Amino acid sequence: MPDTPFEEKESKLANREIAKAIWPFIKPFTWMLGLTTFLVFVVTFLDLLQPILIQKAFDGFIVPVKDTVGVELFGISVRSFKTYAIFFALFILTAFSLDFMQTLFMEYTGQKIILNLRCLLFSRMAFLEVAFYDQNTSGRLVSRVAGDVENMNEMFTSVLIFIFKDLFLMAGIMVILFTIDFTLALYLSLLIPILVVTIAGFSKVSRKAFRTIRQKIAEINHSFSEGIIGIKIIQTSAAGNSFFQRFRKLNFEHFSANLFQIKTYSIFMPFIGFLGVVSVAVIIWTASFQFLDNALTLGELVAFLTYMKLFFRPLRELSEKFNLLQNALASAERIVTVLNINPVSPAIDQEAKGIKRIDTLSFDRVDFSYKKEEPVLKQISFDLPRGNSIGIVGQTGAGKSSIINLVTGFYQPDGGKILINNNPHHRVPIKEIRNRLALVMQDPILFSGSIRENISPSVLAVQESVLEKALHDANCDFLFDKFDGLDTHIEQGGRPLSSGEKQLVCIARAFAFNPDLIIFDEATSYMDSQSEQKVHDAMQRLMKGRLAIIIAHRLSTVQECDSIILLRDGVIREQGTHASLVDSKGEYYHLLLKEQITPVNVPA
Amino acid sequence: MELIYPYFRKNALKIMLGILFMIIVDGAQLIIPQIVKGAIDTLSTDTFERSRLVYQCLYIILLGLGMTILRYCWRNLLMGSARDVERGIRDALFDHVLKMDSAFYDKVKTGDIMAHATSDINHVRMAFGFGLIALVDTILLGGTTLAIMAWTHPKLTAIAMIPMPFLIYVTRTLGKKMHLHHTTAQESFSALTEIVRESFLGIRIIKVFNFENIISDKVGTASKDYFKKNLKRAVITALLRPMLGLFFNLSTLVVIFYGGFLVMQQSLTTGELVAFLQYLGLLAWPIIAIGWMTNLYQRGMASLKRINTLLDSKPAVVSPVQPVSLNSLSGNICFEDIEFSYNGGKPILSNVNLDITQGSKVGISGPPGSGKTSLVQLIPRLYDVDQGKILLENSGIKTIDLDFLRANIALMPQESFLFSGTIRENILMHRKISDAALDNVIHVCSLEQTLQKMDKGLETIVGERGITLSGGQKQRIALARTLIVGKPIIILDDPISQMDTDTATKVMSRLGRMNLAATIIIISHRISALAFCDQVYILQNGKISHSGTHAELIEQDHFYRESYRVQQFEGAYHA
Repeated sequence: MPDTPFEEKESKLANREIAKAIWPFIKPFTWMLGLTTFLVFVVTFLDLLQPILIQKAFDGFIVPVKDTVGVELFGISVRSFKTYAIFFALFILTAFSLDFMQTLFMEYTGQKIILNLRCLLFSRMAFLEVAFYDQNTSGRLVSRVAGDVENMNEMFTSVLIFIFKDLFLMAGIMVILFTIDFTLALYLSLLIPILVVTIAGFSKVSRKAFRTIRQKIAEINHSFSEGIIGIKIIQTSAAGNSFFQRFRKLNFEHFSANLFQIKTYSIFMPFIGFLGVVSVAVIIWTASFQFLDNALTLGELVAFLTYMKLFFRPLRELSEKFNLLQNALASAERIVTVLNINPVSPAIDQEAKGIKRIDTLSFDRVDFSYKKEEPVLKQISFDLPRGNSIGIVGQTGAGKSSIINLVTGFYQPDGGKILINNNPHHRVPIKEIRNRLALVMQDPILFSGSIRENISPSVLAVQESVLEKALHDANCDFLFDKFDGLDTHIEQGGRPLSSGEKQLVCIARAFAFNPDLIIFDEATSYMDSQSEQKVHDAMQRLMKGRLAIIIAHRLSTVQECDSIILLRDGVIREQGTHASLVDSKGEYYHLLLKEQITPVNVPA
Repeated sequence: MELIYPYFRKNALKIMLGILFMIIVDGAQLIIPQIVKGAIDTLSTDTFERSRLVYQCLYIILLGLGMTILRYCWRNLLMGSARDVERGIRDALFDHVLKMDSAFYDKVKTGDIMAHATSDINHVRMAFGFGLIALVDTILLGGTTLAIMAWTHPKLTAIAMIPMPFLIYVTRTLGKKMHLHHTTAQESFSALTEIVRESFLGIRIIKVFNFENIISDKVGTASKDYFKKNLKRAVITALLRPMLGLFFNLSTLVVIFYGGFLVMQQSLTTGELVAFLQYLGLLAWPIIAIGWMTNLYQRGMASLKRINTLLDSKPAVVSPVQPVSLNSLSGNICFEDIEFSYNGGKPILSNVNLDITQGSKVGISGPPGSGKTSLVQLIPRLYDVDQGKILLENSGIKTIDLDFLRANIALMPQESFLFSGTIRENILMHRKISDAALDNVIHVCSLEQTLQKMDKGLETIVGERGITLSGGQKQRIALARTLIVGKPIIILDDPISQMDTDTATKVMSRLGRMNLAATIIIISHRISALAFCDQVYILQNGKISHSGTHAELIEQDHFYRESYRVQQFEGAYHA
């Protein structure tokens, strides 16, 4: 939809904070990175050695300076030109293998860090509260695990190692410059504060641009995700064009942010080059006075200028790395922000105790709201002992599903108590509770993979017979008749099953789970009454000795429950058995009357 | 290549200008040492003129300034063009995705498309931008150097070129491998993206069943697969650059050995050999650039191929070349001996015959998987039939312009989906609609109270899948979206399944009172919806098993009677 400010919040963090969060991922590989850095230095050293080796060829063989032909190479005296050639060949082969090793180690380390980061990021995200997912769309979140992690790759390879090398080189050259001429070098070192300020300024602007770019990429991912899920609506409401226009606009914003980044970089890099050129002029100018005072020889000046040129090469490379670094850090901010979210709900008590099974579930004057000032549930109380079932009815939006959100620990209540076996539920680890409950939701969600994986994905797979029985109980015989039974392959979005069929499979999943507490949240909405009836019959059998919560909009679905709650606007209006509620002739009774559509006599 | 060719053309001027500036800067770089030399000469002459030095220093600074400006320009021109390619391809991809048919969506994975739209396009962009720069540099620097070398000493140059065929061979071989490994790595990245996306979408189920660790393992496995494939790609990349360096060094060796031999034979002076070696040294960078270019090029091409494959997929459902000319559709629909299956799989519908007259209200019911949704999706041609014909106004729907056909049909899919945005946007879907019409559908869909309770009413933002709303609320918004534009054919796939009985009854009776002239097809299990219809069809195993009015079906059909009995049960129980 256009013009809706619905983008994710900007992630902004101090570099120190990012470093702190990222360090644990680098730490196990410090020796590897150290080794690689060492190799980088060796390769650079060999590179610098080569001219000397060539010089030896001249001095020793081509135009011998001494009377005898031959040179000393690394302490070995080489007498024939052929041997020298073999030596040279060995030398370049060594350089090649070291260079290859260095690159490979670097890539391996980078990829490995990325792998660990991605795995940890995802598993941390998987344990985040549902509220986090309600506020962030999946398309945008995918961006962090996929693209942003990828974007950090270069930070762990070229940036980390080469910044080190370049800085080292620059420092070395600076020392040489000081030994050649102290005064000139002092003048040159005036550059350093200018460089620092330039780099700092550039980093700030550049980071901002990269931040926008990463954000827009997340939006682009979201647009694709949403466009594909809602494609049937888009196509049949002829909204394709407006969706495309909206996307174009977004894509253009991404483009503009990139252009801005290019501009920033296009000022920065040539500016560094410009500094180099200006330095040459300034040094010549300054040197001219020293030269006239006979404090400097011409040879020294030439040497100074030559080394100065060498000083600017690593500086240029360093600047390039800084750009990459800002890009990576913009992604790092987005990742670290997620990593820093405390996954443990604050309400969980330290003294949380395990439970063997769920015997009772009670709500004691529970208040709840998603947003402050907008209460969704008010003073909800009920008791559900083992072996009993509770039915919750009420208009859409009355707060039925919110009760489920509390029972499952997706959200925490604002006030009142939820008691499990008479313990406040925050004293029981949420994992323990979830291990003993099964939920069937309104939206039937299946993952791609086989039916078997969907029903029982754990390594400790449930017995085949149990799965088959669960499928049979859930009226899923169609899987065996029409498809490949437990091995039926499910594609994205639950295809090829219809919505009703998906619901049946979701119910089978709950049955196979063998829970203490079973929760049906409008779990049979896409089914015809007979399928629904069969499922409910199975459930009646299953519910014996367990706890059950059934949310329904059709009263017929809940009438056999031991207790029925009628919700309206987040308040319990009526509570009791079907018979007692009918007898009291209140709201429930009136709803019941309305549920009869036409007074047609039913032949028995 | 065809895909990016238009962008070359579109940005031709920018690219040419960028390259020109690059060449000028490269040239200017060679001038500076000359001026420095001049300045040192100025210093060393006995009659030192300060004014001359001032002039030379200023000249250096001015040249530096000019280079800075030109560098700024070419970076902007070339990199900007590359970004334009990126933008264009991404637009094309989104546009293509929106235009595909449902069969395409049954096969494709969203995460895969997302990977195409971000990672792959990025590789193409890099090949275009950096690749171009490296190419110019290589040709320019490498070409000139080589020309000078050949000119000064052709024989030595020929000797220096001995390792080159091997270099070309290795580059080509490794390039091919790079292409292959890049493709597999990108495929793996796609799969990873999809698993992550699916997990986030189903996070509630994952949490409530404590699947967090299982799904993390799954993502871990996918990540490891990507890691392995990426590493294969990295090995090739890591091999290429040092390998090129090795070949370059071999050239140096050959030149020293052979050149040294010549010097010893006195057919070459030492100075000539030294100068030649200096020139050879200048070749180092272009050769390294070849490696870089190969890497960028192969990745770019492999990714481009992936994007091309996606863009080349043609929808099976297409608009006829010469559609029949119709001014309007009235809503007469006729199904003749329809057979249908997904992708030629098991038959979903067989021998379906329906005759729906304009303005009638038709109900469809039946057990899950009986083909109800498939049946109605054939009308707006979300899928095409295998056999038989669907006629609107006596014209086969395949002869009607597709956009015109869909513009005349309102379809509400079974699982309500809300786009992230406001409720108003979700109902209007960018269509220009009067406030009166909006108010009317809000009333029909019984949304007034719901909206009143919300602070921002229609402007309330609903999240992904409208998650802060209840199922019934989402469904009513989806219904309002469908009903707001008057269309001759309205298809409602399970419109009241998530609503409570009271609301559902209200909505159905208000819908009835709208007095729409449209043909309405409703799929439902709810008797309240089916009783609203003039004619009800019961589908079983892809065949119409019974049909008739509500009253007739109660008499005749077991399925319908049972459904009715169940839904009326508590009514009979006490009232």
